[in-house]
Amino acid sequence: MHIRVEERTTRPTSPVPDRKEGDGGGPNKPNVKRPDTSDLLKRMKRVDPNAARRYRQRSGE
Amino acid sequence: MSVGERLQGAPTDSPKRMQRLFGIETEYGIAVEGKGAGDLIQESIQLVRSYSGSFVTGWNYRGEDARRDMRGFTVERLSTNPDDAQFDAPGRPPMSMSEERSDRVLANGARFYNDHGHPEYSTPECSQLRDLVAHDRAGERIVLECARRRSAAIGVPISIYKNNTDFHGASYGTHEGYLMSREVPCDILIAGMLPFLVTRQIYAGAGKVGVEVDRLDTPVYQLSQRADFFSVEASVDTLHNRPIVNTRDEPHATPRLYRRLHVIVGDANMSEWATAVKVGTTSLAIGLLESGWTPPVRLKNPVGAIKEISRDQTLRWLVTREEGGTISALEIQRLYLAEAQRRFQGATPDADWTLSEWEMVLDALERDILLAADRVDWIAKRQLLEQFMGAEGLDWTDPVMQSLDLAYHDLDPELGLYQGLEQEGVMRRLVTDRRIEGAMTCPPQDTRAFLRGLFVSRHGSAVRSIGWNGVAFTHEGEDLLFDMNPLVEPNVQLLNEEMSATSSLAEVVQVIKKPAAQE
Repeated sequence: MHIRVEERTTRPTSPVPDRKEGDGGGPNKPNVKRPDTSDLLKRMKRVDPNAARRYRQRSGE
Repeated sequence: MSVGERLQGAPTDSPKRMQRLFGIETEYGIAVEGKGAGDLIQESIQLVRSYSGSFVTGWNYRGEDARRDMRGFTVERLSTNPDDAQFDAPGRPPMSMSEERSDRVLANGARFYNDHGHPEYSTPECSQLRDLVAHDRAGERIVLECARRRSAAIGVPISIYKNNTDFHGASYGTHEGYLMSREVPCDILIAGMLPFLVTRQIYAGAGKVGVEVDRLDTPVYQLSQRADFFSVEASVDTLHNRPIVNTRDEPHATPRLYRRLHVIVGDANMSEWATAVKVGTTSLAIGLLESGWTPPVRLKNPVGAIKEISRDQTLRWLVTREEGGTISALEIQRLYLAEAQRRFQGATPDADWTLSEWEMVLDALERDILLAADRVDWIAKRQLLEQFMGAEGLDWTDPVMQSLDLAYHDLDPELGLYQGLEQEGVMRRLVTDRRIEGAMTCPPQDTRAFLRGLFVSRHGSAVRSIGWNGVAFTHEGEDLLFDMNPLVEPNVQLLNEEMSATSSLAEVVQVIKKPAAQE
């Protein structure tokens, strides 16, 4: 049996409620200061230089 | 008159109607220590099967045919990448499609499965940008959790990358789906989207070290992960000979009323802002075409232009117009922005937010790209990698630079470079971690994904198969199909509310069968 709800959803709907403004009411202001990358530089130094050379994937969509 | 019929004319009758369903499908890169590309189908299957939350198996392919072209024909077969044949071991016993895909339909309304050797997470349908961002990021955490569970089971490290290339010529996709009016003719859709899709990489690109497919004499840092891999303007293919505009005709909704624009040209974004603005601007661009506008610009060579922009080290991003002369990617984006401001300002909070952010980022790109380093992936990555190059005395040709590029997309919080930027607090966030955690198990409340999630979480044992547009289930010995094709408009919330009040499958069936109230 094939159940369709197309007809019953034609009744008038109440207005769509106002959207939530995300978490805390909208996006933050841009933070354009340059990052303190000292920890990140350490993290980058730990990256295996050959990781990309070894990394092989099948084609996807 | 059905709800679909009433809304059919809405895009032209009511230009400010800008709410639509959208979603993102991400194929993740996977690296398992000691395994090669030939093992990745099995590894991806096992990773997906490591999912431990509530789910049902059995994808419902009703209405799906990837070979069907919206231009009115069906191709005999889709192109595949001949290079992948090297990874197929001869004599390996074939698997059934359901075994290979290992579909999991989750309680949050998402689909999680193996696609061509990649764990793929398709978000549930969302209608609000922040919901989509939360569900996209929930997908990251779900895939990472599965990788950790699988890694613990086999005692081997597994890395997961949210990117689109292996730097050896293999690309995998991050696709977007946008429900739109069928009234927009195909040729208008293709011509209208080409200049937009070719140029949106200036703020939506995820950045890439090096060039694939072609050989260049000079080292480059590209805007886009994917631009190298597009060879035609429009076609139904996705795996090979990829088009800038994908013409696959799978609306996942009432076909006579809707199209689903399947955008395959985008990058996987780590930045929440980039995900939201990429989808928000594309939704507005589609809205412009729905409202009857066509852009006053055509590119002489869109396939060449998408690569030229991505590889342009001067950041001038000039491309040739069909009628002669050049125009910059920024100018093209401003054409769409100006018209969208005129037509959609005040339409919805998401439209207003997108218009504002769109204008601000174009201004920033014009003045100083570093002004957008806190939100645009290709700039954040470039800034980080240039600092490393400066500290180590390297250039873009050093092999470590592609490894650092890969590391930017590593989902591991301890290893990933984007993760590090986020932990430093320098990347803009649009959703809280708590909201992301919620999205791992809860569907959006205002789309039909809520109904899919309800079936999974409450009535999973009755479900025979489940898909984007329907649920096949058994009740009291009778096989039933709940048709969700029409449930793509905002008033589905009424049905969601009724369904959430049910306490048994019998009550669910009762709600579905209830006749419509008279208008």
